[in-house]
Amino acid sequence: MTKSPIEVVVKCGCTMAVAILLMCCFVIATHAAELNVPTSVAAGSGLSIPTSGRGSATLYVAGPGTAIKRKVQLGQEIQLSADELQNAGRYVVSLDGNSATFFVIAGPVQSIAFLARPSRVPADTPNVITGTALVFDKYQNLVLQPQPVKFDLNVNGQTVSRTDMTKQGIAYIKLDSSKKEGPAQFMASSGPASVRRVVQEVASDPCNIRMSAERDKNGVLVRTDPIRDCAGNPVPDGTIVTFTSTDSQGKNTVDARIKRGIAQAHLPASANATISVASGVVVGNEIQWRVDR
Amino acid sequence: MKFLLRLNPILLALAALAVVLPSHGTDSVLAASAPAVKINVANAAPRQVEDSTQKAVARDYATAWQAMADALNQNRADLLSANFIGTANDKLTATVCEQGKAGLHQRIVDQGHTVDAVSYSTEGSAIELHDTARLQLQLMDGNTVIHSEDATLHYVALLTAAENSCKVRMLETVPAF
Repeated sequence: MTKSPIEVVVKCGCTMAVAILLMCCFVIATHAAELNVPTSVAAGSGLSIPTSGRGSATLYVAGPGTAIKRKVQLGQEIQLSADELQNAGRYVVSLDGNSATFFVIAGPVQSIAFLARPSRVPADTPNVITGTALVFDKYQNLVLQPQPVKFDLNVNGQTVSRTDMTKQGIAYIKLDSSKKEGPAQFMASSGPASVRRVVQEVASDPCNIRMSAERDKNGVLVRTDPIRDCAGNPVPDGTIVTFTSTDSQGKNTVDARIKRGIAQAHLPASANATISVASGVVVGNEIQWRVDR
Repeated sequence: MKFLLRLNPILLALAALAVVLPSHGTDSVLAASAPAVKINVANAAPRQVEDSTQKAVARDYATAWQAMADALNQNRADLLSANFIGTANDKLTATVCEQGKAGLHQRIVDQGHTVDAVSYSTEGSAIELHDTARLQLQLMDGNTVIHSEDATLHYVALLTAAENSCKVRMLETVPAF
């Protein structure tokens, strides 16, 4: 039985309408999983992503310290837990062929990494103590928003304080060492976090060196007065002091270490000698040694 | 004719090899070469960056990116420790571990980095970089590409001096500088 051209056209039209309807359903179904995520969330706060559509799909999340693949039900909210979003950085979420990205931003300051240098400095010297503080949240994410960091340097009860703002998570400070020697408590604090370091301030170079000489059974005994820096701090034991004796036979040199604040040495006996003393760049007094026979 | 029919499977196998081999070759070339890193140190503070340090930082940062790309692609955490330390090493190791569990991996085709050294600590132990990286990123589930994009991303990196090199202590993607 042959069909009239009108019947054929109507049948084709119906088939096309059904096809278009199916395509529309397919498009709606594929758009059902479209992702709607915020541009940023705070570290450790978790995230809820609404979905639409029906059936199940595979969720993928890739981010710093995280790689998730799990089945989810479309039409229900997807929960990303606080534990899954601890690390600051960029996350990619992919669901049913649709992808979206968002950033996890560091939370408030909870800890500080503090580099204090050097561990031992000469007293009374400008800009010799440096501190570098890096501020982190409780998940060890660097806090990039500006934060105040307070630096305290306390020596013998005298405190110098200065506050600096972090730039991209880092704050720096340069401080003078104090006039008096001693262990300096160097502290950096920001919010609830604080870290303490100890910088040992020691006497700087001797201010002047004064020595005396006397004859003994081994030759000439040379001995300094207590050696101090220009602020009156005793120069540390172990610092080298050089005694030199020059006579017609030549030159004799003895290096001695400061012990209990003074340095002493035996020089060979000589009838006529010039004795000098020095430590580092500081030269002390000179003695003309004469022995009457 | 029979001879040709017998040859067919061999030819097919050779053709398959010809298709497969160049793609493996490309991977190994990518893995073997560190990305280009162009570094500007003019704005570093409070200390100026010495020429030798600038070169060392560029070299070590490029090597770190190469190691990271290889580690994320092959799910091998052992590739990280030579170039990463502290938090960066911990987080990347966790990523590799999680990827391995989920059967995922990431491909990074690195098209170069424009880096600004923004701070260099007075004692020279830490340097912070702002890196604008051009990357092709792919998230793979086995051999299936889940997500693919060409992206220009911003990274804040903190490098600290180690024995003979600088190691990346922190590497964080940020929305902008």
